[in-house]
Amino acid sequence: MGSSSSSRNKIPNAQELMDQTGFSSAHLLRLYDRFECLDRDNRGYLSPDDFEAVGGLAMNPIGGRIIDAFFSSGQDTVDFSSFVRILAHFRPTDRNRNKEGTQQELPNSRTRKLKFAFQLYDLDRDGKISREELLQVLRAMLGLQVTEEQLQSIAERAIQEADLDKDDAISFDEFKKSLEKVDIDTKMSIGFLK
Amino acid sequence: RTLALKMAPLRRSSTLRLTGLLCLSFLVFFSRGFASHDVVSEKSSGTIQEDSHSQANSTAHKKTFPVLSFNYEHVRTPFEISLWILLALFMKLGFHIIPTVSHIVPESCLLIFVGLLVGGIIKATGEQPPVLDSNLFFLYLLPPIILDAGYFLPMRSFTENIGTILMFAVVGTLWNVFFIGGMMYAVCQIDAAELAHVDLLSCLLFGSIISAVDPVSVLAVFEEIHINELLHILVFGESLLNDAVTVVLYHLFKEFAHEQTITVTGAILGVISFFVVSLGGVMVGVIYGIVGAFTSRFTSYSRVIEPLFVFLYSYMAYLSAEIFHLSGIMSLIACGVIMRPYVEANISHKSYTTVKYFLKMWSSVSDTLIFIFLGVSTVAGPHTWNWIFVIFTVIFCLVSRVLGVIGLTAFINKFRIVKLTKKDQFIIAYGGLRGAIAFSLGFLLDNDEIKNLFLTAIITVIFFTVFVQGMTIRPLVELLAVKKKKESKESINEEIHTQFLDHLLTGIEDICGHYGHHHWKDKLNRFNKTYVKRWLIAGERSTEPQLISFYNKMELKQAMMMVESGSAAKLPTIVSTVSIRNVPTKGAPKPSRAISKSREEEIRRLLRANLQKTRQRLRSYSRYELLNDPLEDNISEARFRKQREMERRVMTEPLEIEPKCNKGVYQTVRGLSILHQNRFRTH
Repeated sequence: MGSSSSSRNKIPNAQELMDQTGFSSAHLLRLYDRFECLDRDNRGYLSPDDFEAVGGLAMNPIGGRIIDAFFSSGQDTVDFSSFVRILAHFRPTDRNRNKEGTQQELPNSRTRKLKFAFQLYDLDRDGKISREELLQVLRAMLGLQVTEEQLQSIAERAIQEADLDKDDAISFDEFKKSLEKVDIDTKMSIGFLK
Repeated sequence: RTLALKMAPLRRSSTLRLTGLLCLSFLVFFSRGFASHDVVSEKSSGTIQEDSHSQANSTAHKKTFPVLSFNYEHVRTPFEISLWILLALFMKLGFHIIPTVSHIVPESCLLIFVGLLVGGIIKATGEQPPVLDSNLFFLYLLPPIILDAGYFLPMRSFTENIGTILMFAVVGTLWNVFFIGGMMYAVCQIDAAELAHVDLLSCLLFGSIISAVDPVSVLAVFEEIHINELLHILVFGESLLNDAVTVVLYHLFKEFAHEQTITVTGAILGVISFFVVSLGGVMVGVIYGIVGAFTSRFTSYSRVIEPLFVFLYSYMAYLSAEIFHLSGIMSLIACGVIMRPYVEANISHKSYTTVKYFLKMWSSVSDTLIFIFLGVSTVAGPHTWNWIFVIFTVIFCLVSRVLGVIGLTAFINKFRIVKLTKKDQFIIAYGGLRGAIAFSLGFLLDNDEIKNLFLTAIITVIFFTVFVQGMTIRPLVELLAVKKKKESKESINEEIHTQFLDHLLTGIEDICGHYGHHHWKDKLNRFNKTYVKRWLIAGERSTEPQLISFYNKMELKQAMMMVESGSAAKLPTIVSTVSIRNVPTKGAPKPSRAISKSREEEIRRLLRANLQKTRQRLRSYSRYELLNDPLEDNISEARFRKQREMERRVMTEPLEIEPKCNKGVYQTVRGLSILHQNRFRTH
């Protein structure tokens, strides 16, 4: 118990982070260790090449987008609190909590999780996934194995299905609706962050 | 109108009465049919004797040629089997025609009841009713049900919950066996029970028979209550995977009961045997699955026999596992799971439908027959009724199940992302139904007095679980407001976003340095794509990404629906071309000139007419080949795609064509000629 309090001092704003994200101090510690591990030059912050050094992200079709999601607009460094705040989205939701508004503020609520995923599609942040953005995602995921026409028809079909207000783009609500049958709480959670 | 309304209920009740009468008459007819076969055979043998007699006498006379003769003997066995299956089918039909009963009572209960009736009628006529022969059950009745379940197993939820399922299947069943065995031994020590001759090993053997949750009963009951997918896969997966434990413990205790001693080496061998049985069974299934997938690569040369390959390879997997006393059920499931993605990519659409429907058909018939036979066997078998033994068995089965589930869930919830609530635990505990597997295993015991005692207890537990638990689970599910299964239509959006989320989670797991569920799934997918698919899938479909296959399947389904409805409904891409034109696109501005409406209509009509023509052309009937129906086979998929792209090309390109309007016509003609070429190529 003594060691944890002293190492908690290493982490700036530990209590505030814990309140905002819902992580326990043990979790924060584990994440701090990981942060230090990724931060090879011990600079106290992460830059894009630190992320790229992670194996597997290079092969990931949306690896670039995931890395970019960590860096809030304009900045090219990620400090520990931003790192934790992003990862807090993937904390498993607590089913037994009373849902009296407190749930909505935590980053790991279903809406916040979906919002995070939505922002990975919607790169120009206009609140909608346009056909072009959808095509880009499809191109990234399906690679060179498909023809342009097939991509077009899939994107076409997807927008037709989801677009309810006929503005030829998928808004956040339409995105949420198309995923209503999927158990997001399970799908977008990592056990490590329990 | 009021008169018509009054007539309607009258008509309905008379239909019901008629159906009821029909069912009853069929019952009587069939049971007399089975019972009287002995009488008939005597009669026919009598006539044979008479015939030979008269022949001997009448060698001098001219033999009259028998215009009509009666020989039941040589068709007896298939005739009786067909009668039984017909009975099962009529019962199934009857229960669905009469809706009121099937709402309250699950089908399995009604079927057992029918079996009791039939058995009673047969016994009343003085004949010995047939008993559910274990050979018949394990070799013919059980495999179709398991194959049907394994082939259509929802892999996503199964693999996500595999840890929980294994815990319940292995540890849960072990706990059940030892608890029930131990407690029953304690019960047997009570003097009032007069059961002192039942020793510990026999009790443990009994425990191993009665503990396993039965997949047939679980399927039969859970299918009707439409419970949410998580609970369904937990209970059902447990019922499938506990087969290995049951097989090992059953043989182990049977051996020990022979020797009358338990040795340490024996126990260790038992543990080793468990791993051999389960992993060996899975390996046998995997081998057959791979061979089956590889075979399906070449079946394009003879499409008619494709479904048979699927069935036979799976059945052989089951039988091969049974040769070595490995777990046949796990082998069957493994074979179906491994074979399915590759076979589906290779076989024609017609064969896929055939496989699906045959599996459903066989498993349905098997399931019905099993429950009817259970009823008949209850009437038939010699029973030794011992109040204390039976009642305590039922009590301990329930108690041990509840305790086991609660204890295991407390442990499992530490590792689960989505915890199991008390409601979930209750349903899992309540869904632990026993069934025909327990009965058949009990039937295989050596014939002695203990066997009858055990059989009676087993039948009582089965009846209790199927009747009491089966009937009450539906109102309980309603009462507890357990989440039901959501009927979901296939959605391309869901598929795209789910894959996207898979990639996202894999990336996040990599960043966290945590090798979780998604990481391994991603690795497996990559391995599958680079090595396995190339060998097992024929042609160009081996490099097709999953999303494309999904999309093509959807489009094909929609196209078939469209043509079947007969109407020239708007193809989705026609609609889309309209929207493409209307939305200002980024980049180079296209000249927004529309082709005239009349030209569009003409082109559309031409293309569609051509499609209709190729469909209606029939060739003469050939026994060894299927008619080349353009709605099936990969050829037609390609044709649809071509047609779609052609239409799009024709629609969008004319934007630039106005000066060169001939090109538009040329494209139409070219498109039509492609269709013509395809048609001639398929001869």
